[in-house]
Amino acid sequence: MPRPDQVQDPELRNLFEQAQGSMKSGLANDAVQTLVDALHRLLELKPELASEQLEPRPGWKMHFLSRWPQLGANFVKGSLDKNEPEIEFVKENFALSEAITYYEFTLETAIKRGA
Amino acid sequence: MKFGLFYELQLPKPAGHPQWDPDDELKIYHDMLDQVELADSLGFDYVFEVEHHFLEEYSHSSAPEMMMAALSQRTKNIRLGHGIVLMPPGYNHPARVAERIAALDLLSNGRVEFGTGESASTMELGGFEVDRADKKAMWEECTREAANMMVQTPYQGYQGQFFSMPPRNVIPKPRQTPHPPLWVAASRRETTMLAARFGMGSLGFGFETPEELSERTDEYYRIIREECYPIGHAINAGLAVLTTFMMGKTDEEALERSANGPAFFSHSLGYYYNPITGGKHQPGEKNIYDSFLEANKKQNTLSAATGFVKEEDIRKDEPDEEVQRALYRAARSGTAVGTVDRVRDMLKTYEDNHLDVMIFVAQCGDRKHEHIMESIELFGKEILPEFKERHERDHTAWRAEQLAPVDFPINSSI
Repeated sequence: MPRPDQVQDPELRNLFEQAQGSMKSGLANDAVQTLVDALHRLLELKPELASEQLEPRPGWKMHFLSRWPQLGANFVKGSLDKNEPEIEFVKENFALSEAITYYEFTLETAIKRGA
Repeated sequence: MKFGLFYELQLPKPAGHPQWDPDDELKIYHDMLDQVELADSLGFDYVFEVEHHFLEEYSHSSAPEMMMAALSQRTKNIRLGHGIVLMPPGYNHPARVAERIAALDLLSNGRVEFGTGESASTMELGGFEVDRADKKAMWEECTREAANMMVQTPYQGYQGQFFSMPPRNVIPKPRQTPHPPLWVAASRRETTMLAARFGMGSLGFGFETPEELSERTDEYYRIIREECYPIGHAINAGLAVLTTFMMGKTDEEALERSANGPAFFSHSLGYYYNPITGGKHQPGEKNIYDSFLEANKKQNTLSAATGFVKEEDIRKDEPDEEVQRALYRAARSGTAVGTVDRVRDMLKTYEDNHLDVMIFVAQCGDRKHEHIMESIELFGKEILPEFKERHERDHTAWRAEQLAPVDFPINSSI
């Protein structure tokens, strides 16, 4: 199961450790900002993620990144369709549960892609 | 491994008819009372019931606290689980939740399991004007404060983002201290890990395989030991998983009795949780069972027609996406459908991977009450005793080892 020490890229690993520290201190906003930075770094390392598709049912395609939690740090509408994912913050304050959800998704994605 | 029953109170409309028969809702409510009373007498450990609103045919369980109160008087030992209470304050004010949980805990002599969640369907969120973007934050704030209300005398009051109230003594207080065990609904892996970080049990609604479970169990208990910041005043360490359930004297009989249940469960769930179909649902008009039968003419997912499929063949066709995969599994891989031997063997694979609680979906689709009763009886007499024995002997020791380093109160009923 995903843990920061399984991340190969030092910069990305550092971001996950930083996010983990923020969550432990109850600093959800800081954690979410750091995890958005981690997503950007992941896209630098694995640019193919921007256009990766899932096929939940035969004939139905969806962007893999549409699984990124839409909890306030959301993709700009249409940016996924252009394969140019761009995050916008639609609110200022995040709950710890939201930060944890971003953390688990981003960390698992990074490790599964060998980043 | 312990065992429970899970209720959505499904009620498909009669095929070809625009509405139910007048006594249909009356029947499923009283059938559930009979089924749980029987399960209690045979030693089942838990019953969990959902809270859903407006999801016609899929779930007619909008006031589970009423059913739980009735069950508290018809059962002796089975634990009464909310699976789950919708925590955003648009559905339930946290003080009302704390009051109801505590009152039920008193009525049942301390048998309540406090499952929590946030909901996801457009019909429910829109019906109560709950903002989808903030529902997780609402869940967190209201769950934490409901737990505080059950503990603090008086509750010191709260100025929050989603609700506020002045200091009040929220009474009654629950029988269990500091409060009943806390759970959260987890249909994705991320939420199971969130449950661990918050010190909550994970009610896994993803129909996880034994292999996935093994991986998740290791990480879940590691987080509980090393990275847990509890949302409540005690940790409820526990992983629960759903599976479909129907037994028979032969595999063929079990499949026939399983009927359209799992496939309808999956179809109606997918219908409401898909924003396109669920968002355009015409209240009071649509017959989902008819559309389900129509869809199945093409896909042939009915269990009796499909028969048992090898696990590796099922896995081969699974969707990549987690929610779609859960829907697929709900319809196709009936883990606990079959004879005593088949069901026992399948459950053993979960037991070997240290699952804490297996929850059976027996009541679903157009299954018959008498078949559910016979299945409960067969399982309770032929399978449950040996699992109980191993639970007390082996699993309890395994859990004690996992949780030994935890320096925080634990109030799990597992």
